[in-house]
Amino acid sequence: MKSFIHRGLIAASAASLCGIIIPRAALAHGFEGDRFFPPTIQTDDPFAVDELSLPTVQLFQNPSSPGVSKTREIDLGGEFDKEIFPGFDLEFSDAYTTLNPKVGGATDGFQNFSLGFKDELIQSPDHEFIFSFGTDWDIGGTGGKSIGEDSFSTFTPTFFFGKGFGDLPDSVPMLKPFAITGLVGEAFPTEASNSNALEWGFALEYSLIYLEQNVKDTGMPEPFRHMVPLVEFAMETPENRDGGPTTGTINPGVLYESRYFQLGAEAVIPVNSHTGPNVGFIVNVNIFIDDIWPKVFGHPLFGGGSGNAAPSEPVSAK
Amino acid sequence: MKKLIIALFCTLAGASAASAHAFLDHADPKVGSSVKAPTEIKIWFTEGVILPFSEIKVTDSSGKEVQKADKHLDPAHNDILIVSVPALPPGKYKVAWSVVAVDTHHTQGFFPFQVVP
Repeated sequence: MKSFIHRGLIAASAASLCGIIIPRAALAHGFEGDRFFPPTIQTDDPFAVDELSLPTVQLFQNPSSPGVSKTREIDLGGEFDKEIFPGFDLEFSDAYTTLNPKVGGATDGFQNFSLGFKDELIQSPDHEFIFSFGTDWDIGGTGGKSIGEDSFSTFTPTFFFGKGFGDLPDSVPMLKPFAITGLVGEAFPTEASNSNALEWGFALEYSLIYLEQNVKDTGMPEPFRHMVPLVEFAMETPENRDGGPTTGTINPGVLYESRYFQLGAEAVIPVNSHTGPNVGFIVNVNIFIDDIWPKVFGHPLFGGGSGNAAPSEPVSAK
Repeated sequence: MKKLIIALFCTLAGASAASAHAFLDHADPKVGSSVKAPTEIKIWFTEGVILPFSEIKVTDSSGKEVQKADKHLDPAHNDILIVSVPALPPGKYKVAWSVVAVDTHHTQGFFPFQVVP
């Protein structure tokens, strides 16, 4: 799914045209080889697995535009992903938005409902690498007009990747906990007057979990040994029809992995004045539904076991 | 919002009887440590594991497996997997583990350690 901020940026540009200003995450467990890729908040990860992200709360201030004052936005969102076939999932998300303009009354309503799929195309466990393709359908007319949601749909085919650096030489052990995930997609609005846009972003992570479990047990205390500091870049570049300049946010933060859920918090720093005037923040809970309800989740509906499932045969004793 | 938080808390609280993926909690020898020749490799996992579906391989710097064929769980704790090793000469070693937790989820990992004189 697109990040909440991406949805927000698309909505913002569209809403500007309507005279209203407005301005979005991923789990269960995404493994590639020895690497656990935590679900990131602002940029979607490349895994097609069962996930429940609930809630995601974002506070951000949108810039003013002709006829519209600065507007404080609060988004309360959620996402559910279900693996249908091995390595192929369907994804559902929405958010409830409250807009408080500096001048004028507050409005609220649901964003457009979003439906999508993702397909894991290439995996290399030895190199902690994964490459996926997915498409998001932002369904026009399903969200509130009062918050400026589009009456038209937007399709965003997107390529995703993830790479862990556990295969670096042993001479640089402290670099092995690094990993990067990213995406590049193209948003195609179904209304001709709106700009196509390049959606792009990445997350650079340093997994203290990987450090402690795979590189060196430093004796780091809790809760730090279960944290993943990261910085996410969530960007959008309009390409035509006076879509405006590139907008986006830089999001430094941290993820904490507990037994059944992940807590994440990030600052939301606008890259320019076209994105926003102030720093916002976002917090997210990802519930590990494959651990909480292992009989229901953590495996595809059809087509046998997933990467999380047990081997069908016992390993041979050596 | 308050109702949502309460519902979320209840959902997670209700999951207390469930189990989770088995991750390495700590090991002996410690991950990345330098030690005198150990007699066994012992890994504490965050969850209980199923022995027939679990494995520890210990390889030397040439990639040769050196562990003995006696992998077993601690009799009192199914979250501790153990394998014996012969007297290891000084050098770098790698431990690769692959386990299936009691909830049937598979995880794997590895870590290095070094034997010093």
